[in-house]
Amino acid sequence: GDLGPFNPGLPVEVPVWLAINLKQRQKCRLIPPEWMDVEKLEEIRDQERKEDTFTPMPSPYYMELTKLLLNYASDNIPKADEIRTLVKETWDTRIAKLRLSADSFVRQQEAHAKLDNLTLMEINTTGTFLTQALDHMYKLRTNLQPSESAHSQDF
Amino acid sequence: GGDSDGGSEELVLTPAQLIRSLEQAWLNEKFAPELLESKPEIIECVVEQLDHMEANLKRAKRGDLKVSIHRMEIERIRYVLSSYLRCRLVKIEKFFPHVLEKEKSRAEGEPSILSPEEFAFAKEYMANTEIYLKNVALKHMPPNLQKVALLKSVPRPNLDSFVFLRVLERQENILVEPETDEQREYAIDLEEGSQHLIRYKTVAPLVASGAVQLI
Repeated sequence: GDLGPFNPGLPVEVPVWLAINLKQRQKCRLIPPEWMDVEKLEEIRDQERKEDTFTPMPSPYYMELTKLLLNYASDNIPKADEIRTLVKETWDTRIAKLRLSADSFVRQQEAHAKLDNLTLMEINTTGTFLTQALDHMYKLRTNLQPSESAHSQDF
Repeated sequence: GGDSDGGSEELVLTPAQLIRSLEQAWLNEKFAPELLESKPEIIECVVEQLDHMEANLKRAKRGDLKVSIHRMEIERIRYVLSSYLRCRLVKIEKFFPHVLEKEKSRAEGEPSILSPEEFAFAKEYMANTEIYLKNVALKHMPPNLQKVALLKSVPRPNLDSFVFLRVLERQENILVEPETDEQREYAIDLEEGSQHLIRYKTVAPLVASGAVQLI
């Protein structure tokens, strides 16, 4: 895509990978996103704890952005430590809900689930485990009766 | 970049759209249990685009920053392309007799799942495996046991595995089959932008058509 123009002193939007790289080379200062602010994050964390369902997150990449920005540009972020704690608390609450929900999915042998407000990071954290577990369950279940599609060597 | 080569559907993509298509193909291939359609147009265009960018870089020697930024971008795109091709090769090696069978029994107008190079690779892989099995074990067996039915012994891809997806184009009335005998089948609508966990088999045609994206 197209980027720039890069003028000293003026903020410009770039992809995260470029921003981190430039920051590491000490060529720029990073500006945190609007939602990366103590009050906003406190609201979100409390909302998440109150509801049984998943609250929509301010960014589909909130976890990745928090990790990256706090690692590489904490000097550009006011109250970095508080922000780190707040995001972690929200993440923990969401992952706990996800574990419960995955457990019930497997237990009740559901065929389908809608996961709109989950971010990719959360999905991929539990996703592989969940899909492999479901596959194993399926194999165990379908091997209870011999079916025509079962593969066996015939000698 | 983005020139198509005289196909019946001329699609001129911007470089950004081209890379987006590559990423979609890559993710779908990564998360699908079976080998998906090959995408020669995308691969050709991406390689062309990369060559183009490399040529530009060779010429523009001034300005450290610009050059290194473009170089980073080239590396990133190259990584996605390699990962995509490698993912396909892993599946070809894993399911080789089934992949070859599917390609051989393909109808005239149906899209190919193997590129010409991949097809040659798969055939060679099969031939090598057969020779290996013969030399290591089979020729020492009694004469009536010297054949191995690869199509039966090599496991098929598990199309019943669950996948996560995001909906790109709204779909109505997708039939969800029951898991147990006590359940009954039901229909769901897939709203644009929503995310779901479901059996691959149910949505395989939607992945192929681009209506959903595996995540």
